[in-house]
Amino acid sequence: MTPVLPRGDDPPIPPAPPAGGNTGRLISANMLATVEQASTGSDPYRVDADGVPYVPVGDGGIVLGVRLGDGAWDHAGDHAAPGACLVHADPAAGYALAAQACAGNLAEVRTGAAAGETGAVIGKRGEGGRVIVVFDQSVLRRLRPGDQVAVRGRGQGATGPVPGVTLCNIDPALLDRLPVEISGDTLTAGVRAVLPSRLAGNGIGRPTPMWDLDLQLTPASADRHGAAGLRLGDLVAITDLDARFNAGYRRGWLSVGLVVHGGSPQPGHGPGVTVIATGPAGPLAAVADPAGHRGLTEEAALEVARAPR
Amino acid sequence: MKVDTNEGRLVAQILAGEVWPPLGDRHGFRVDPDGRPFVLPGMGGVTLGVHCGDPATGYAGDHVEPGLSVRHRDPAANYALQYLSCVGNTVVIASGPAAGAEGFVIGQHAYVLTDVPEEQLRRVTAGDQVTVHAVGQGLALAAHPQVTVKNCSPRLLAALAGGTRADGRLEVHVAARVPADAIGAGAGMASEYANTDLMGAYAGLGDDLSLGLEGLRIGDVVAMADQDHRFGRGYRDGWISIGVISTGSCQLYGHGPGPSTIMSGPAGAFHLVDDVDANIRVLAGAPAGAAA
Repeated sequence: MTPVLPRGDDPPIPPAPPAGGNTGRLISANMLATVEQASTGSDPYRVDADGVPYVPVGDGGIVLGVRLGDGAWDHAGDHAAPGACLVHADPAAGYALAAQACAGNLAEVRTGAAAGETGAVIGKRGEGGRVIVVFDQSVLRRLRPGDQVAVRGRGQGATGPVPGVTLCNIDPALLDRLPVEISGDTLTAGVRAVLPSRLAGNGIGRPTPMWDLDLQLTPASADRHGAAGLRLGDLVAITDLDARFNAGYRRGWLSVGLVVHGGSPQPGHGPGVTVIATGPAGPLAAVADPAGHRGLTEEAALEVARAPR
Repeated sequence: MKVDTNEGRLVAQILAGEVWPPLGDRHGFRVDPDGRPFVLPGMGGVTLGVHCGDPATGYAGDHVEPGLSVRHRDPAANYALQYLSCVGNTVVIASGPAAGAEGFVIGQHAYVLTDVPEEQLRRVTAGDQVTVHAVGQGLALAAHPQVTVKNCSPRLLAALAGGTRADGRLEVHVAARVPADAIGAGAGMASEYANTDLMGAYAGLGDDLSLGLEGLRIGDVVAMADQDHRFGRGYRDGWISIGVISTGSCQLYGHGPGPSTIMSGPAGAFHLVDDVDANIRVLAGAPAGAAA
């Protein structure tokens, strides 16, 4: 039925979004991805922030032994992510894969020795369009670069549970398993640390649905910012950062994200944050617990991803 | 700048480049800080009417690249062109109706950006060949071992104000001081390639976006706080990087007028002097030629 507006009146105010947002209207899409092989240039070295050459290890592909809950600098890697990175050989399909995959999505191995096994998307990385997926370690050992994986993308377009707060890169079902509280018109995230936007390096100025933000922190500098205990899977908040479209400076805003990969020796790089919520400070709030924070666990990610929808 | 250098030992190379057209994609639109889509000129090709000393902001443009935007068709040769071209290098137009006209490099932005006098610039179009007299990488200041110099021609260094002070520090005149909060796209990238976009310079948009940088001009010499650009662009407490504004207005969020880095060092190695005239337009009258 076509709604009829009273003549001369303003349009009626649309009804408030239902509690829980628009979860029932989200689109799920099966996307094809392949397990990445780590790659380098013809020169084996990268140069660290102090000018020392190093060979990057764990920068993409299948990484064993790096787990959610590990310290962000526990491993001698470069952007090492907990699990496997997925890509697509066609650049445009890769961008769509990265843009539509969300934390909490199901990833099902289609080919190879691990066919039939499932994992969970926890985040993504920029530039190359990588999706980061955690698997049980026994599954990871059987994966091989080139194996096909179906990713069930679901989450982009979700309306926030609080007016003014934009959700992105997360299946709303995963919010229940994170230290996030919704009370009235405020979404409050428990985080490991609240960090200033000037520490956001690579990823700034890039589209949030496709890039993570590297925190320009080192083991030496993290202590000054209450982030010495930073772990993979932690939630962190970044002040004065609006990440609705591209990530950029906006005074009085806040962005909250998941730490999805470990530190990097490269200047301007570091532990990577996939943003999951952004909004004005007020409707979006963060409470730091530098010692006791517990973020996303492998168990929670896998349970949410495997739950029937 | 009055300072001892190793200029006599630098290696100069003649590099070929081509004026590269503006590039678009099928859907055209980009998104501004408030979520509004836009289609605006700026990157690539020949951009008229914007030269060193002119405002960097306020244009109906995105990533405004003054003058010529130059690349090489071969990817590896292009990297060499981008890495080895230095601010202040002489560029000679080598084909087309403006052949023989001269300009100078004002920075890199995944293109080598070249300021050319407006009268000659009007006769250039995409596809015209240019020759870059590349010299400057390797430049070092013997009395200032803590200061790394890059992307800076000897000609530019000579034309800048300041120099070695009695207290041993390097005096550098700057038109603006940039807080670390302003550092946008370009963070984490090689500092011999493209530039550092500065946020907080969205003239005409909200106060909550402003970091007081709307007054920047093309060619301004600026000091970026807490930036170490020796081995890439990264944050480091207590360091300073000096740059030259080589690109202008952006509507794309997280982007903005961009300095190409010419120096990096601990803050204590520098003596900064605020000087509204700290702009590389001085190069327009500086000695040029193959040795520049």
